Amino acid sequence: MTKSNTLKVLLASAAVFAVSESALASDWGSFDGVTVEAKLIGGQQYEGLYGRIADWEAATGAKVEIISKKSHFEIDKEIKSDMAAGTTSWCVGSNHSSFAPQYEGLYVDLNGLVAAETIAEFVPGNIGASTVDGNLLMLPRAQFDVSVLYYLKSNYEDADKAAAFKTEYGYDLAVPDTWEQVKDQAIFFSDPPNFYGTQYAGKDEAIVGRFYEMVVAEGGNYLDADKKPIFNSEAGQRALQWFVDLYEAKAVPAGTTSYVWDDLGQGFASGTVALNLDWPGWAGFFNDPESSKAAGNVGVAVQPMGSVTRTGWSGHHGFSVTNDCANKEAAVSLVTFLTSEESQLAESAGGSLPTRSAVWKANVAAAQAGDDPFRAESLAAFAKGAEFAFAVPAIPEWGETTNIVYPELQAAILGDKTVKEALDDAAEAVDELMRESGYY
Amino acid sequence: MTRRRLPEWFLLLLPAIIVIAAVVLIPLIFSLYSSFTPYKLTRPSTLWKWVGTYNYEKILTDAKFWAAFGRTVLFLTIALNLEMLLGLGIALMVNKVTWGQRTLRTIVMFPMMFSPILVGFQFKFIFNDNIGLVNNALQSMGFNVALPWLVDGKLALFSIAFAEIWMSTSVFAILILAGLFAIPRDPLEAAKVDGCTPFQSFRHITLPFLMPFIYIAMTIRSLDVARAYDIVQIMTGGGPARRTELLWTLMSRTGYVDARMGLANAMGYVSIILSVVFTIYFFRKLTAARAQIGMEG
Repeated sequence: MTKSNTLKVLLASAAVFAVSESALASDWGSFDGVTVEAKLIGGQQYEGLYGRIADWEAATGAKVEIISKKSHFEIDKEIKSDMAAGTTSWCVGSNHSSFAPQYEGLYVDLNGLVAAETIAEFVPGNIGASTVDGNLLMLPRAQFDVSVLYYLKSNYEDADKAAAFKTEYGYDLAVPDTWEQVKDQAIFFSDPPNFYGTQYAGKDEAIVGRFYEMVVAEGGNYLDADKKPIFNSEAGQRALQWFVDLYEAKAVPAGTTSYVWDDLGQGFASGTVALNLDWPGWAGFFNDPESSKAAGNVGVAVQPMGSVTRTGWSGHHGFSVTNDCANKEAAVSLVTFLTSEESQLAESAGGSLPTRSAVWKANVAAAQAGDDPFRAESLAAFAKGAEFAFAVPAIPEWGETTNIVYPELQAAILGDKTVKEALDDAAEAVDELMRESGYY
Repeated sequence: MTRRRLPEWFLLLLPAIIVIAAVVLIPLIFSLYSSFTPYKLTRPSTLWKWVGTYNYEKILTDAKFWAAFGRTVLFLTIALNLEMLLGLGIALMVNKVTWGQRTLRTIVMFPMMFSPILVGFQFKFIFNDNIGLVNNALQSMGFNVALPWLVDGKLALFSIAFAEIWMSTSVFAILILAGLFAIPRDPLEAAKVDGCTPFQSFRHITLPFLMPFIYIAMTIRSLDVARAYDIVQIMTGGGPARRTELLWTLMSRTGYVDARMGLANAMGYVSIILSVVFTIYFFRKLTAARAQIGMEG
């Protein structure tokens, strides 16, 4: 074991010990004999936090029964079925800022149930994105997501490459700061089918979110104040054209239209992609030699800007309490515990971004003082990237609009429709949905 | 005064009637009712709002629905016919084998034993354009290509059909093999004595005897393929750009992801026509085939 690794293990052990002590010391209430049923997001990266539930059980005398553990998309379907069947008496549910607005009447307003001082300890933007119609529907977890640009450093250390690029594009080859530069460089670096300049999520909400942030970066927006679709503007066309140009130039893998997050993460980790806009959870994975061929060669930079501004479509995980829960006090205690400073310190040690101001500060300070320059570099990029973050519209129809829009974006990317035709068709269908939903 | 008693046949059937009513009839009536409402799973109160034929009108004028409908018919026709031809070929070959036939029959049935979801994942990996087996094999043979198997409209439908055919051809093979075992030997031997060629014997004796088995397999598989969901959902999710959208991927997205269960149920009732038409067609063919070999009545 290297000196650095030994230090990490010692620090981690000390942190876990301190956190456990703290959990027992805090007043989480007394709920002897109470069982709290929970539906939680599943995945190896979340197990560390769930391991802490035993501390809460020991502190309160209550029991937690995890009745479901699935991905958010699967949990979402299950919750909708529960709502239809009226079987919503379980207490705690994993939630996401994109999904929260659609569960009408399912979750309690945590304002009043959670102390105001506790709520004030979270990053205000996260609390804002967790609030729908004035109701705080979830407490944000240490899983805040905003994307930044991961890149292979070696591409910027080759003098011949730099000279060839300058000759072709007329400016110096450096880590891109605009989406136009990303496009130029992605096309320049590409050598299909062996190496690709970049890649993007090409289906479901994933591509619509990316398109959305680029529309805003180009000076447009997705919906107007009345919830009328306006993404088929000139800004929207410029944004979609970026995806089309890269696909036509074969600077992205041909299958990118069927990729979502796992495919993108594995693609960059395979060392065959030069530039990759991706979430914080991948940082450690990309720089770990056991999981990534790009390890040691990964740079992290703030997300590039469009022709108008820099943006970041973002979201975060959270925990909610149902209205039908028999013991809301115990459920609120559990949710508060899972999102506490101690829990977030432990969870963000794995690489995720916290939603509490104090934990952000602690993480940045530790990275600056520590011996992990990659962690410090990525945290600095994410801290900067978070300044440009915005949440999706807090309306129940957001998800449904993405199901309408993404096939049209794909149609333009694959050449079945022109950019304008695709966006006009998508806007017309979203307009119909919004009318049916009674917005105007 | 004599006590009125329920007839015995009714009493005997009553448990079955209750079970069928509970698990089939009531959900069917409920889903039919909900297709006339704007029922959203996340807003249970919408179940009680009657909108008449609005959902049906929306579907009938929706080009995307009819494109998925047409694609499903095309997919069904191609998959069924290829499965039948391949199944027939496999059954004829297995029938010729005289040693180890039982083992061979078990091997033929292997693909049927996998869950469609696993088959979907398996072929999604095989046909992946970047890290998939097929493209890697092509590249190692010197072809510097990365064919977009799951992206190109024709290739994607082919890839899905390939997975579906790989999994289900053995249904045809086993049923046709059962038919081959049931063929009486006398007509075949008589044909041989009369100097018929093997092809003539197959064309005029074996095939007519097999047709009832083929149509039974067709009927079963047409219902299976018409509700093909797992493989398509895993491999392409109906995309990209709706190029592989079949009725069930469209309905499941509408009902479970968008939570618009009323609209999804209306789609279901319109698409049931497809299954009914195929079933009637194959049953008619089955009756005609049975009549031809003297099995009617």
